[in-house]
Amino acid sequence: MLSEYLPIAILAALALLFAVGSLVASGLLRPHRPTPVKLSAYECGNDPVRLPRGERFSIRFYVVAMLFIIFDIETIFLFPWAVAARELALFGLIEIAVFIALVFVAYVYVWKKGGLDWAGGSLTPIEAEAASEAPGPREEVGIRAG
Amino acid sequence: MTPDLDLVPFVPELVLVAAAIVGLLYEALARGPRYPVHLAVALAGIVVASGATLALWRYGGDPTVLAGAIATDRLAVLARLTVLGAAFCGLLLGTHAIERDPAAARGEFFPLLLFATTGMTLIVAAADLIVVFLALEVLSLSLYVLTGLPGRRAASEASLKYFLLGAFSSAFFLYGVAMVYGATGTTRIPEIANALVGRTGEQGLALLAAALLLIGLGFKVSAAPFHMWTPDVYQGAPTSVTAFMSAATKVAAFAALIRVFDVGLQALRWDWTPLVAALAAVSVVLGSVLAIAQADVKRMLAYSSVAHAGFILTGLTASNADGIGASLFYLIAYSAMTIGSFAVVGVTTTRGEDRTDLDAYRGLYRRDPHLAAAMALFLVSLAGVPPTAGFIAKVGVFGAAIGAGYVWLALLGVLASVAAAYVYLRVIVLMFMVEPEEALVSDPAPLPRIAIAIGAAIVLVLGLFPGLVTDLVRSAAVLRW
Repeated sequence: MLSEYLPIAILAALALLFAVGSLVASGLLRPHRPTPVKLSAYECGNDPVRLPRGERFSIRFYVVAMLFIIFDIETIFLFPWAVAARELALFGLIEIAVFIALVFVAYVYVWKKGGLDWAGGSLTPIEAEAASEAPGPREEVGIRAG
Repeated sequence: MTPDLDLVPFVPELVLVAAAIVGLLYEALARGPRYPVHLAVALAGIVVASGATLALWRYGGDPTVLAGAIATDRLAVLARLTVLGAAFCGLLLGTHAIERDPAAARGEFFPLLLFATTGMTLIVAAADLIVVFLALEVLSLSLYVLTGLPGRRAASEASLKYFLLGAFSSAFFLYGVAMVYGATGTTRIPEIANALVGRTGEQGLALLAAALLLIGLGFKVSAAPFHMWTPDVYQGAPTSVTAFMSAATKVAAFAALIRVFDVGLQALRWDWTPLVAALAAVSVVLGSVLAIAQADVKRMLAYSSVAHAGFILTGLTASNADGIGASLFYLIAYSAMTIGSFAVVGVTTTRGEDRTDLDAYRGLYRRDPHLAAAMALFLVSLAGVPPTAGFIAKVGVFGAAIGAGYVWLALLGVLASVAAAYVYLRVIVLMFMVEPEEALVSDPAPLPRIAIAIGAAIVLVLGLFPGLVTDLVRSAAVLRW
């Protein structure tokens, strides 16, 4: 049964061998004459640019992404119900109503907690902590490793 | 077309989710001081769920319901009750932590704890590997958030560590589920058992599945060498959450482990019991030795929890009703001791989370004799000294291991217990025989003391009269499928 996977394993081994072999061979054969231009990262002929340029993305994008996923999933679940709605009749309707109600609770919670306001909403404790101590030296983190 | 649904064995989870949803809506809509209502809703949910669970003890229907998703046996009932008891004490401790430090208080604590409890009660009854995984995620995700809820640096760091390592272990578990499906063509645990029985020849896929599932669940029960997250998370999390998760997660994950391995992979037991024995040996030795080196009580109890995971695994090397029964008894006893000891940690000083080093225990007896006596009882029980629950539990798992032919493992367990006794006795010496150096005041709040009293009562009663529960445990250890 496992032997059916043998060709894949052989292919993976050959691919690895080719990649490593090429790098090793070129490393041994090529002349080594570096210049700053040669050592710079190649980016389609343009000057290399660092991204993101010093600024961070707002953590609020994360909340938006999570909200999107929740409602995305809701839609995905509605499709199979819609296809089988006639056969499932009242039972299916109640089930999907319960499901939508549960997602709606999440919506109410996010709304009331200010998750939908981009600028507003109170600071969470960690944001307040970060804001209050931003100019001063960072305190040692309280957990030791190991 | 209405599918034939028997929802009765699923009522505890429905009740818990309903209470959690009510709590979530209340948190979103209500204003002003809210904790009394939150506590009332959550306690009501837990009490009703416990009642529904108790009613399932005499359930006479099919072994599994809801298309094979939920098992109705007594293992599920007993493990659920243990988890609900832990959640009850966790609620008391958490409410007290909120009262003490309103600045860091979040009302989400209550719904999240109920969601975590739902995941735990679901996983102990899950009879389909997909449901096991679903419940594992429900309980894990809630616990990651609970760990980081105060929003302090240490808590956030612990939360992130727990999340990353937990997600990693979930991947192992899921890979194991895929391998099981590859080997047997089903994810229902009873059908897996039927597919594997009497099969001869190539078993590579099923063995790989067993190893991956053991790794995934080993992370959750914090068995060495998958324990790396335990000390950091236990130390960084709020003490009330640590108390709840150290007990309830262990019960839930071990009940799932028992069902997956002793039902689903029963046919392969000669192959996986040596793996379990190896995990048990490593956990017992590493947990006991590393606990000696700790200067922080929460870290010390975390390493002790690794060692106790090893003792429970020792019982599971006997893949029969004896082993399951001994492990179940151990889980109940361990839940009481660990919740009790973390509850004491939470009230040893009024500053709670800030003082968890061993020095805070110097002369505790002079300051607060009741607290010192309770802590001494829990520590003695953790060490496994009679007449406490810890002693009876250890005798049970060692007996099961010897019965299964793992005499070396039982010997190793006894030796490690002796080494670990130093850890616990050191604290007792500090509490009773050393004068207090600084003027610390212990927290007089009533709620945590209720939890401590419950834990102490269970530890003593199970130690003095183990016969009260051995019959229950024995009938829960017979798995119907």
